[in-house]
Amino acid sequence: MFEARLAQGTLLKKVLEAIKDLLNEATWDCNENGMSLQAMDSSHVSLVSLTLNAEGFEPYRCDRNCSLGINLASMSKIFKCASNEDSITIKAGDEGDTITYVFESPNGDKVSDYEMKLMDIETDHLGIPDTTYSCVVKLPAAEFQRICRDLSQIGESVTICCTKDGVRFSASGDLGSGNIKLAQNANVDKEDEAVTIEMQEACTLTFALRYLNFFCKATPLSPQVTLSMSNEVPLVVEYKIGEMGHVRYYLAPKIEDEADS
Amino acid sequence: MGIQGLSKVIGDYAPSAVKENEIKNFFGRKVAIDASMCIYQFLIAVRQEGNMLTNADGETTSHLMGIFYRTLRMIDHGIKPVYVFDGKPPDMKSGELSKRAGRREEAQKALEKAEEAGEAENVEKFSKRLVKVTKEHNEECKQLLGLMGIPFVEAPCEAEAQCASLVKGGHVYATGTEDMDALTFGSTVLLRHLTFSEARKMPIKEFSLEKVLAGLELSYEEFIDLCILLGCDYCDSIRGIGPKRAVDLIKQHRSIEAVLKNIDTKKYTIPEDWPFEQARELFKQPDVLKDSEVELKWTEPKEEELIKFMVEEKGFNEDRIRNGCKKLQKARHGSTQGRLDSFFKVTSTTSTKRKSTEGTKGGATKKKAKGGFKRGR
Repeated sequence: MFEARLAQGTLLKKVLEAIKDLLNEATWDCNENGMSLQAMDSSHVSLVSLTLNAEGFEPYRCDRNCSLGINLASMSKIFKCASNEDSITIKAGDEGDTITYVFESPNGDKVSDYEMKLMDIETDHLGIPDTTYSCVVKLPAAEFQRICRDLSQIGESVTICCTKDGVRFSASGDLGSGNIKLAQNANVDKEDEAVTIEMQEACTLTFALRYLNFFCKATPLSPQVTLSMSNEVPLVVEYKIGEMGHVRYYLAPKIEDEADS
Repeated sequence: MGIQGLSKVIGDYAPSAVKENEIKNFFGRKVAIDASMCIYQFLIAVRQEGNMLTNADGETTSHLMGIFYRTLRMIDHGIKPVYVFDGKPPDMKSGELSKRAGRREEAQKALEKAEEAGEAENVEKFSKRLVKVTKEHNEECKQLLGLMGIPFVEAPCEAEAQCASLVKGGHVYATGTEDMDALTFGSTVLLRHLTFSEARKMPIKEFSLEKVLAGLELSYEEFIDLCILLGCDYCDSIRGIGPKRAVDLIKQHRSIEAVLKNIDTKKYTIPEDWPFEQARELFKQPDVLKDSEVELKWTEPKEEELIKFMVEEKGFNEDRIRNGCKKLQKARHGSTQGRLDSFFKVTSTTSTKRKSTEGTKGGATKKKAKGGFKRGR
């Protein structure tokens, strides 16, 4: 038996919005510590890793570890039926091949429940090595979203160049080119609006904006976003989900062709 | 022909070894393609009103059309193809080749008969069976590939074996062929339907040797023995032993020698002078170029020479060839998207499959087993 109730249901709604465009379906792994999900998009360019800790739910009950194969588009459709103030409860039996969502209004007057079929999915789990990244940039999530959206007008990919002075995002295309430079400003009063850079070594990497725009769907989850980069390894884009977990996106860089291949 | 019924065996015993994928998901991959097999396919498939395409002088151009457009299709999807041409067939294949020659003669006779009787449908059927890839076809394709800047390798012997060795050596990701014996030669990944036309909307089937072996619970050596029992190009198989029994026998006895000791020789006639050991050796140690002897370079297309060859000599439309050239050039410039699975490795696989759905899965594998592509009939 699995049961998890989240008083602030809107958080789950936002999580779904953050992943449903990138993944059609995914396996939710549930154990006593919480729920997690790891999946690559169909083209194997990016990966979503989502963690929701058990402490965030009240109550949380997981008698037996289970993997739930879920069609995320359908789940998101059902979650659209919940109001932002509603609490959301997820239930699944040990046998059975369905999952149930219960939405409750704050005063308990209205209770709706939806049942959904589970899917058979085979997923490869990827081992992600612990890496110390040469540059870790924290910036306001809305600012990052704006940058990705603006630069997609110019080109298909963005080059992120990180030095100790700041971070520069550049794109070029048929109509011309564009650069956006952000300087560190850790001194502002509002923590959420700070841009901070922790750097061991400068790095320059190029990424497809198409995927970054998918990642930015997570913007409503968190005021700040963290970009972790090292040369020639995938970028990590992380959004905290309140106190209860995080969603991390990994994106393979674009690689300049060596002359001989 | 490859290995008889191998794809069905895999579908039955190791369904998880086969994955269907769209061509666009293979971007960034280098793939070795069995050239002779796909030229043959083009000669059969690229036709107009049942006849091969020709230029004004009546020379066949189906193969060039195929190579040009299907290569462009792969390039468009970010795949980097390498073509591998057959060398001289191994001595052990002579039996199979003479059988094929016999079938051609039959087809020739049948064609004459059909022509006399004026049966258009049969004329087309039998003329397709007469198709043969000639040296000229191969040479023209090599010339075209050279002008397109696509690398090709001339195998000393069987192309599938050379492809497999390129995969094992890490030069390429997979072998693209319809012949299942690429797996027997040790290609870790085999892609089917890669060179099919866009219009057929055929998903690409990816076979993983590792998962095939895991599903069959066999080692690679045992798998080779199984393939020989199923029927390969290099020696006969034992009459009366079909796919099911072959799998059972190998699983029980683990080698052809042990199988021979244990089966009822009255019931099954073992062919005289059965050179299964040589066939096994051929699969294990085929005659191929060493890794260090192979160099793969994708280069700029030579546009003007390409126009001269394709448009002036072979009568293709100039605009289309120029357009193709643009695509080749575009693919060479700019950066390519990396793949996440080349950075992170798969550590485990979870399945959410439930018992109640086993039945439907079985049905799906049955379907997969059908529709194999036959060659050389």
